[in-house]
Amino acid sequence: MRKFLPVAALARDERFTQVSMAERMSDPRSTRPGPGEDQRRRPNRLTPARRDAVDAARSLMHGIFVGEVQALEGAGRTCWDFETGTEVPFALKLDMARQAWDEARHVEISCKLADYMGTEIGEFSENTVLFEAACSHDPVLRLAGVNRALEGLAIDVFTTMKEFGELAGDPYLEFCEDWMLADEVTHVKMGSDWLRRITDGDPARRDQALEFQSVVDKLFSYGGVRSDSDQSPIGLARRFRELAGFTDDEIDHVAELSLSALNETTEKKASLRSQAAAAIVGADRS
Amino acid sequence: MTVTVLPAEYHFVKFDSSVVSALVEDLLDRLAMSGRDVVIEIDETTPLTRAELTSTAPVTLKVESGAYEEPKAPRTVSEANVLNVTGRLLLRVRDREQGGFADAPADAELSLPQTVAWDVYSTGRLQRLGVTVQRQRWLYHFRNRHGFTDDADAAFDRLWSADRLTWAELSALSEATVASSAA
Repeated sequence: MRKFLPVAALARDERFTQVSMAERMSDPRSTRPGPGEDQRRRPNRLTPARRDAVDAARSLMHGIFVGEVQALEGAGRTCWDFETGTEVPFALKLDMARQAWDEARHVEISCKLADYMGTEIGEFSENTVLFEAACSHDPVLRLAGVNRALEGLAIDVFTTMKEFGELAGDPYLEFCEDWMLADEVTHVKMGSDWLRRITDGDPARRDQALEFQSVVDKLFSYGGVRSDSDQSPIGLARRFRELAGFTDDEIDHVAELSLSALNETTEKKASLRSQAAAAIVGADRS
Repeated sequence: MTVTVLPAEYHFVKFDSSVVSALVEDLLDRLAMSGRDVVIEIDETTPLTRAELTSTAPVTLKVESGAYEEPKAPRTVSEANVLNVTGRLLLRVRDREQGGFADAPADAELSLPQTVAWDVYSTGRLQRLGVTVQRQRWLYHFRNRHGFTDDADAAFDRLWSADRLTWAELSALSEATVASSAA
């Protein structure tokens, strides 16, 4: 079996459509006003009070489903890609195997939840950035990128969806998200513990892993979709991150990165909108 | 009948006004509204999904680009969404003029449960006209606004299968279902 599978080789049937992060970020449209734009600021957090809340929740549920598929693929690859003993301890692989088991269950739960919410598999495009973070050839970087950053994002997403289910009075959504959230906290804790154990006595490697995690955390903020700001649909689940082994400083760091991603995207979108508006004026004159 | 879709040229999205126009002309035929002139103003600067009726003479719809967008392929148009979103708004026009909805509040005055109840009533009729719709999606919408109960599911079935309701019947059913779920 091939080691270090590239994202292009992921097994997907004809129902799935993949859209790259670059394509997503090149969309000049934005729900948020840019700096200096005369538009009233409004909260954007995903709650049932939003008129578009139900379809936004359906879209997010599909994102969770494909995220779980990629998390399963990532954890499974970590069991296979590295040599036991020389590259990673057996106990780490055992944890990754347990995680793959959890993720497989999450795929089934997400699939059934999506069906219950009226969403078909492949109805929305798939963003493969999650698996891309799981392609590192260094197991420590992979733990930082997948277990700490990716699974950390999962904690934030599940907390938002659990609260959505609670507010909407949807017992299935609330219950399922709560159970999956408990697993995600464990996955992040495993990543935190293994990162410290493997890099014990090697501060340079630990710093490199944490730097990689920062890059992935910023990437996984999806241009501000997740942050402490109420302009982001998904909030930062500070309490559950604490339970997963994040220190207060680490949580504050993720919050700063997310807010920075939100601000950068707002400015970039405003610039893209200005360019498109200029093109419209040019077309009208010609 | 004329269908005008604006703008003629797009810079933020990859829509084609002639495609939207052809779909809406076909829809007007199916709804027995082929005598109506329709203007659709697409706001291509936002990916949000709001669509609203701003005038009835001619029928004028203001649609944010996300409402017509293909979720599999961002910034491209979805035929299914054009038919569903426009169909629901056109049925509201027809209901208000012909179907016992003269006393219904203006769209902006409708509560979320009332809006969803009317949308369910409209989408069920669109399905019987041959438009591809997502029944389970609308059941989930309805449950979110009327409660996750057997009573809510029964009310949904009644709205979905109805062909001639009045505003008084629809609003009473919605109100009773919300009250029953809250009890």
